Amino acid sequence: MFDAEKFIEKTIDTLQTEIKGRALIAFSGGVDSTCSAVLANKAIGDRLIAVHVDTGYMRKNESINVKKMMEELSLNHRFIDASQEFYNALKDVKDPEKKRKIIGGNFIRIFERVAEKEGIEYLIQGTIAPDWIESGNHLRDTIKSHHNVGGLPENMKLKLVEPLREIYKDEVRKVARVLGLKISERQPFPGPGLAIRIIGEATPERTDVVREACYIVENEIEHAVDKGLMEKPWQYFAVLLPVRTVGVHGDKRAYGNIIAVRAVQSIDAMTCAYSDIPQEVLDGISTKITNTLGNKINRIVYDITNKPPSTVEWE
Amino acid sequence: MVRIYVIDNGGQWTHREWRTLRDLDVDTKIVPNTTDFQELYSEEIDGLVLSGGAPRIGLTNRLGKCGEYLEKADFPILGICAGHQFMARFFGGEVKPSKIPEFGKIELTLLREDEEIFEGVTKKSIVWESHNDEVIVLPKKFLLLAESENCKIQAMRHKGKPLYGLQFHPEVEHTAYGEQIFKNFANLCKK
Repeated sequence: MFDAEKFIEKTIDTLQTEIKGRALIAFSGGVDSTCSAVLANKAIGDRLIAVHVDTGYMRKNESINVKKMMEELSLNHRFIDASQEFYNALKDVKDPEKKRKIIGGNFIRIFERVAEKEGIEYLIQGTIAPDWIESGNHLRDTIKSHHNVGGLPENMKLKLVEPLREIYKDEVRKVARVLGLKISERQPFPGPGLAIRIIGEATPERTDVVREACYIVENEIEHAVDKGLMEKPWQYFAVLLPVRTVGVHGDKRAYGNIIAVRAVQSIDAMTCAYSDIPQEVLDGISTKITNTLGNKINRIVYDITNKPPSTVEWE
Repeated sequence: MVRIYVIDNGGQWTHREWRTLRDLDVDTKIVPNTTDFQELYSEEIDGLVLSGGAPRIGLTNRLGKCGEYLEKADFPILGICAGHQFMARFFGGEVKPSKIPEFGKIELTLLREDEEIFEGVTKKSIVWESHNDEVIVLPKKFLLLAESENCKIQAMRHKGKPLYGLQFHPEVEHTAYGEQIFKNFANLCKK
């Protein structure tokens, strides 16, 4: 069985031997990168710098909270607002694999800039097993290029360190609990962020729409879980489909986009079953989204596919 | 400690097979399917799992050195998905693209009682699938152990040797008795 305490001990040891100079950790504020950061901090202390990049595709208030968290964890940190850079890079890009690769590449270029300025040689990432499995290689088919593996540019200068590479999310959570991290139960959020929750071009305007919809889905489901109405899903969010359908608003024709609600149960994301959301909760989500985003959205659908045949995120 | 290696045929769930075995305190390792049999043999393994993978066994008949392992092994082998299909073909069965490929949740029905590999598994249970091809003719020396509505050969075993094939995926969380099946296989390897 997986032993979190032994894992922590061994990993700190390995990081101490592996990292000779200064290292930066790509810090999103999720369970994987936070765990990696805390382990690395224990291993190399002051030689570690946590870098959070606001890609412009973060959830509501996310980057502000991450900044707070880096302070609470007493990490040496840098906060970089690169929204415009990401929006520009994704202009006119519709293909999901292209989006993922551009985002992966952009992250690395930003980290390289920080590294050069601060004399850093190592890049620590919170990569976990499904990231490299699904990114594929000579033997395995590429399901999707995870930005931190399949999205890495070939000519990367930084030396990569991935302390969680062989473990899965449920095991990372065990490590996070032993480390006493308050984010141990936080739902996964993909590195490419909201950009892959918009089918087609991820414009800033569409990002605002899906950001609000994700916020509503998260709130409604979390309230329902707190009230004991349903089991907490593994992941729960909204996807914006830039397809237009007809509706009626105050006796007038409406012609807006669609929001798909996605919620799944899993322990490791390698297989998933769609969540059983009670009717009244679905009702609340539907009404809140269409009332808040009325001029943009007039239809809400619920995704009822398992993995396989689908995947968790739509792109 | 029983030692069971996982032969990597490039499946999405190869690493899950390794993890399930590790969670059962089995001494395990993932090895490429290009490894020589002699090298495996010299490590004194007690059993082998042939993982699934993207190769279409219904269309071609290649799966690294899996044929060599099936020919020479005197220890138990568990073939999963593509590994199972390859095993069937290797012993003279037939594999074709599925008329109705299965993905995700399926109900499995066991067809024989008192099979060690299915000890503790109910007659009907939920398993997770992901296949484009399937075994349509069982090899002569094999027994049929389980079926589903759209795939009649879901599980098989050799009549004389400890060789087992499963079309479904016991290694994923959503297969109800998956871990139990691995436990049964590990017990078979201890013998």
